[in-house]
Amino acid sequence: MDKAQLVVVGGGVAGASAALEAVKLGVEVTLIDENPLDFSMMGLDIPLCFGQRMMPTVRDKGLMLQRVVDSNELLSEAQEAGVDVQLGTYVWGSFTNQEHSRQFETPVLGLADDERSWLLEYDNLILATGARDFVLAFPGRHLAGIMGANAVDSLINRYQALAATNMVVLGSGDLGLSTALKALDHGVNVSGIVDVSPEVRGSDELRSTLEARGVPFYISHTAIEARGYREVEALVIRPIEGEPGANNETEIACDTVCLAIGLVPNVELANLTGCLMTFRPELGGYVPDRDEYRRTRVGNVYVAGDIDGFTENMVSNPMIAMNQGKLAALSVAESMGMIDQVKADTTRQRLIPTLGVMEGDSTNEYRSAWLSSLVSTGGMEVNVCQCEEVTRRELLDAAPPRFLGWHGKERGHGTFDGLMKAGPLNLDHVKRITRAGMGYCQGRRCREEIAMLSAQAAGVDVAQVPVASYRPPVRPLPMDILWPEDEPEELRNNWPIWFNIPWVEAEWRGKQKYKGFSPR
Amino acid sequence: MEGKTEVQGILTKVDMADYVDSADVVIIGGGVSGLSSGFRLAKAGKDVVLVEKGIVGWEASGRNGGGVGDRGTEPRLTALGLESLRLWDNLDQELGYPTEFKRIELLGVALTESAMGAVSESAELRNKQGLECRVLNGDEIRKMVPEISGNVVGGSHVTTYGHANPQRASQAFAWGFQDAGGRLYQHTAVTGITVEHGRVRSVETTAGTIKADVVVSAAGPQTGLIGEMVGLRVPISPARVEILVTVPLEPRLKYRLHGNGLYGGQTLRGNLLFGGGPHEWTDVGLTSEPSKPNTPLVRNIARRLAELLPGLKSTRVLRNWAGIVEQTPDQYPIIDMLDEPEGFVLVTTSAHGFGLSPATGQAVCDLITRGKSRIPIDGLKLDRFDNVPDDWREQVRWQVGAYNT
Repeated sequence: MDKAQLVVVGGGVAGASAALEAVKLGVEVTLIDENPLDFSMMGLDIPLCFGQRMMPTVRDKGLMLQRVVDSNELLSEAQEAGVDVQLGTYVWGSFTNQEHSRQFETPVLGLADDERSWLLEYDNLILATGARDFVLAFPGRHLAGIMGANAVDSLINRYQALAATNMVVLGSGDLGLSTALKALDHGVNVSGIVDVSPEVRGSDELRSTLEARGVPFYISHTAIEARGYREVEALVIRPIEGEPGANNETEIACDTVCLAIGLVPNVELANLTGCLMTFRPELGGYVPDRDEYRRTRVGNVYVAGDIDGFTENMVSNPMIAMNQGKLAALSVAESMGMIDQVKADTTRQRLIPTLGVMEGDSTNEYRSAWLSSLVSTGGMEVNVCQCEEVTRRELLDAAPPRFLGWHGKERGHGTFDGLMKAGPLNLDHVKRITRAGMGYCQGRRCREEIAMLSAQAAGVDVAQVPVASYRPPVRPLPMDILWPEDEPEELRNNWPIWFNIPWVEAEWRGKQKYKGFSPR
Repeated sequence: MEGKTEVQGILTKVDMADYVDSADVVIIGGGVSGLSSGFRLAKAGKDVVLVEKGIVGWEASGRNGGGVGDRGTEPRLTALGLESLRLWDNLDQELGYPTEFKRIELLGVALTESAMGAVSESAELRNKQGLECRVLNGDEIRKMVPEISGNVVGGSHVTTYGHANPQRASQAFAWGFQDAGGRLYQHTAVTGITVEHGRVRSVETTAGTIKADVVVSAAGPQTGLIGEMVGLRVPISPARVEILVTVPLEPRLKYRLHGNGLYGGQTLRGNLLFGGGPHEWTDVGLTSEPSKPNTPLVRNIARRLAELLPGLKSTRVLRNWAGIVEQTPDQYPIIDMLDEPEGFVLVTTSAHGFGLSPATGQAVCDLITRGKSRIPIDGLKLDRFDNVPDDWREQVRWQVGAYNT
C-alpha cells in the first residue's frame, strides 16, 4: 500500500493552497480531487445538485480534465511545485485504528477513479472537501432543472457545461447574487431572484449590478411549485403569508431553478475519520471541532475551506479559504519539524487576521423561514426524501414506507410521538423506520430538511440533535470499480462465510465439530 | 426515587416520569431476543419491564442480513427454526406492524468443485433430518438465477426459508411489546443484579432499581458481563462483522443466496444486501454503545458479489455497516433457565438470533410461565460449558484483536 506524508482531499482554493504551501515547506503532498466527475455520478446529484443540467460534453473525460485544470491555476501551480495531483479521484472511505477495529498500523483512505479502487495510507490529512448545496423540497423538485448554487458554479467554472438557458434563483444572499451574475455572464437568462426575506440579503454592489442588468427581484416571496413535464418549464411564486397580495401567484417561465439558500459543509469524511463535530447554523451546519491551528480533535487531521464553515462573505473573498489552507499546511509542516515554531507563529500572526469574522445566521432563522414558507405552500404531502419517496407527513408519522402497502390496525406506540416518548430524537432511528435518507443520493438532498422537520416535531433545537450517521462508501461506486485487484492471497483463500471458521481442536471441545455451509 | 439521570456514551438524560420500582419480569437487552421474549410474556399477562442501554434493535438485531431459516443443518436448532418460520408467517398481524417478512426460497451456489462438496454435505445433513433439499446442477441454477456466475458448478435448493427487514422487525417487536402493556426503558443501562438467598431480587440500572424475581438476560455481547453480576461464567466472544447494500434494483433475485463466501439477497425495497468474510474478535463495555467501524472489507465483499452475480457487477454499492455479535465456544445459542440463581433466564444466540427470534421468545416465555419450553431446547443449556477453561478464547484464537480466525 502506498503511503503519503500529507494527503489533501479537495483541490479547490483551500485545498490547492494548502498543498502548495505544504510542498514549499518541504512536505511530500498528495492532492486528490474528484473533478472531473463521472457523468453518471453527476446524474445522481452527487456530490452537488446538478439537476440534470450538464451538457453532453461532460462525457468527454479528456476535455473535462483539460477544463478542470485550465480553470484552476492554483492546481497547476501545485503540480509544478511537486505536489502529486490526482484528479478524477474519489475519496470514498476513511479508516482508522479504533476500538473494535485494530487492523491498521496507519490510517487509510479508500480511493477510486472510473476504473478501479485502491487504498492510501497517510501520516497527515487535510480535509478541504468544501460544501454542498442546501436543499429544501417543494412540488416539482423532482423535475430536471432543479439545481444548487455550487453545482451551477461548478458547471460554469470547471466544466463550461451548464445546459441551462433561463434560470430563477432562490436566495438573495451573496451566494444567490453571485450565482445569478455568473449565470448572466455565461449567457444564461436570469428571470428572477426570489427570497422570503423582506430585503435583499446580499451586498448592495451585487444587487445594483443585477438590477442594472434587468434581473427582477421578488423579495418577501416564496416558491409554490416548479411546473413542467419531466423538466422545469416555470416556477410559480407568491408573496409570503402576511404580505399584501399573498394570494397572487406569479408564474415565471424558466428551465432551471437554482437553490441558493445556503451551503452545507461536506463533513462525511471528517465524520468517518472520527472528528467530533458541532452544529453551527451560522456556518451552514455541522462543522468539525478544531483549534486555532486548524487541527480537528483527531490529532493528524486538519480542515480548511468551506468544510470549516461557509459564510456569505467568503463568496467574494477567496483569500479566506486560501489562507485557511495555508494555515493548515503550516500546522502540518510544523508538526513534522519542517518549520520551527517561531517562524510558524509569525506566519500565523500574519494570516489569521485575514480570515475575518464568520458572520451568519446563528439561529438557523433564515433556513427555517424558507422551510416554513415552503411547507405552507407545498404542504405535507411533498416528498422530503426524493429517492425513497417519503413525504413530510410520512416522515413525521414514522410511517412504514408506502411500497409495503401496509394496512394495519390503529398504531398504538408505533408513532413519531411514541418514538419521542421512548427517548430523545435520533435521526438514524427515524431513518431506519421511514427510509427517509436511505436513497441513492446518500441523503444529500434531504438530510437538512429531515433534521429540521424532525427537530421541530420533537420540540427541540436542531442544533441539539446528534448528527445522523455517515456510512462508507461516501460515493456510491459500482461493485466492479470497488473490486480490489490487490486482494491478498491469504484473504482470497481463507474467506469464511459467516463464522464457518477453521475449527481449532481443543480437549474440552471433544469430538463436536461445527457443521454448516462452508463453500471454499 | 428521582426521575432524572445523566448517563454516559450515547445515553442521554432520561426523564423517568413513569418510575417503576417493580415488575414481574425484567428483561435486559432490547434486541430481538429480549423484545420477542417481552412480547410473549406481556401477552401472557406478565408485567414486564425491558431495559435497553441504547435504542431497540440498534445492534446485531438491526444490522444482520435478515435471513430466516429452519436451521436444518443444525439438529439442535431445527425445532426452533421450524417453529420460528411458522411464527414469522403471522408475526406482522400479531405485532400490528410490518416486519417485511416474506417466504423466499434459498439457493446454495457452488462456484468451485470443493464448494460443491460442502453443498452436498449440507444437503445430506438436511436429508438426515427428514428435511428436503434438492441438489442442483449448474444449468438448473442458471435458469433460476440468470445473473449467476458462469463458473457455477451446482448448488442446493431449500424451500423452507424467508427473510425480513431487521431494523423494521426489531422496531415492530418493540412497538408490539409496548402495545401489549410492556414497559420499555431505552437509554437505561443495567449496572447490577441483586441476588438474595439464591434468587434474583432486583435489577439496578442507571435510572433506578427495579424489583423482580425473574430476570431475563438477552444482552448480546454484554452477556458475559451481565452473567458476572449473578456469579455466572458465561463464555462468549464478541466479534465485529460487516455487510453492504447496493442501490435499489427492480426485482431480480427470486431467491436468497449463499455462495462465493457470501449470504444475502434482494430486499423488498430492491437493494442487494450481502455479507460474509472476515470478522474481528473484540470485547465490549457494559453501558455504552460499542463503536462499529467499517474497514476496506467492503471492496472484498463487493468483489465476491460481482463474481457471484456478474450480470449485476456494475450495480452501485450504497452503504456498508458493521455489527457486533457474540459466539459461544460451540457456536450454538444458550437458552436456559438457571437453577442457580433461581429466576434467572439466560439467552444468547451466537449470531442465530434474528431468524430464531419468534421461537426464542416463545421458549423464554414458556420457561418462565410453565417451567419448560414446548419447543425442544435440549443442548442449549449453560452447563455444557462447565469444562471450558477460562483461557478458551486464547486457545481457539478468538481473543481481542484476532482477525479472521
